Amino acid sequence: MPFSNWHRGTVALMLSVVLLLTGCQPKAPSQFSQAQQDSSKKGVTAVAKDATQGSEFNKFFPRPAAGYARTFSQEKKGFAEAKLNKDGKNVAMLSINDTTGIAGSAQKYAAATEKIAGYPVTNLGNQTAVLVGKYQVKVQSRDPSFDKTDRQAWLQKFDLKGLEKLN
Amino acid sequence: MSKSIFELVDQLPTGGTTVTALNALDFVIPGQWQNLTGFTNTIRAVTGETDEAMIQAIGERAVYLYNDESQGYQRAMWLYQTVDNAAGALGAAAMANKIGQDISFLGFLGNLTPKPEKVQSLDLCIKLVVELVAFCQINGIPGDSIGDFLGALGDYSGESLMRMAALVCFDGIIPLGPNFINMGLSTIQQTTPDDLQHNPSFKSVSSLIPGGNPAGQLGFITQSFDSVKGWMGDFVSSRSLTQEGLLSHVKQYVDISVDKLDYVGAFLDVAVKYYTHTGTQTLARRLVERAVAEI
Repeated sequence: MPFSNWHRGTVALMLSVVLLLTGCQPKAPSQFSQAQQDSSKKGVTAVAKDATQGSEFNKFFPRPAAGYARTFSQEKKGFAEAKLNKDGKNVAMLSINDTTGIAGSAQKYAAATEKIAGYPVTNLGNQTAVLVGKYQVKVQSRDPSFDKTDRQAWLQKFDLKGLEKLN
Repeated sequence: MSKSIFELVDQLPTGGTTVTALNALDFVIPGQWQNLTGFTNTIRAVTGETDEAMIQAIGERAVYLYNDESQGYQRAMWLYQTVDNAAGALGAAAMANKIGQDISFLGFLGNLTPKPEKVQSLDLCIKLVVELVAFCQINGIPGDSIGDFLGALGDYSGESLMRMAALVCFDGIIPLGPNFINMGLSTIQQTTPDDLQHNPSFKSVSSLIPGGNPAGQLGFITQSFDSVKGWMGDFVSSRSLTQEGLLSHVKQYVDISVDKLDYVGAFLDVAVKYYTHTGTQTLARRLVERAVAEI
């Protein structure tokens, strides 16, 4: 019967479309597949062998001003970070890291025009940072009440001169 | 090769028994836990970043950090996954291909074996120690003093706090009752290094428990449990948590029959993989926090 043939044909066509959309379509690679592949190669590390230990950075962090609480949250080779809280709420993240071997980390300061305490500054989104030799000191806002002026003020509270001597 | 960090985070279930059971504990820590899944979602939520190029750069740095074995992140992931999977082998095998799905309590009753109290108490202690060790693998030992370190530990929120809430509720109060802290403590005090070596949960993670040998490791577990018992006691009393109250809440979300109480703990043990689930979320958050600060 012509109707039945047409019907059958439609079903076959729909089935092949379904198969094409589900089974046969190769899985799209993730936007991070290349990074996964590159970082899995033998001998590739994320942190340089001679990077400074995070514990060396703690003493250069600012003391919490009145109304603020500072809680150290991470201390790894090449990195230390503290949370800055106000009234129990996280308003900013403070960090120091060794830029050795991290693509783009120190290079982005080459075009810097602004300076804080004589050190080059970069502003990206909700973060402001300075480069002190090979070390990057960064303040990131985590609440709208903590703005760029606050970030600049807190960067100056770090012992940047002391950190420079660690280089 | 083991899975990449973005696959692990992208594949976190948005439903199923684990997520449902954790949602049932929202009344314990109201609004603290959202089931954040997906790698780029995590980057956006943690950093507030909207620029796609920045999100890409943060994600790539996080991938590099996770894959650098010397950094300890993979060891932490292994700990979370291993301590979850050490649960009753028979039940676990029966459910192996049901992860992320709803699992019916009655349907699996035949595969469940209630754990003796002593084993459950010891498991509780070991899970707690695993949390402490995984914390140090992920975060190091932040700050320059014991006070700084305790401050970092006390700063638990979000998925980390949910993991501790689930530990207290699913591995403490529900299977052992309101006296679970003292039971844990007395069990560990009566445990010999030989007993410890025969506990499946301990055996699975012993290579990463500090102490050098089983006697030293037993000492480390005892000390750790002793040092957080005050925190756990406060957690229970400040929220007036009781076995009956918890069961009535969990029953609304997860299909369990309270008259088979012995089996509820065993069921939660095999069906609810909360260490792996929230541990992956914690790890992703910490990696992203570090990545965004370093780039």
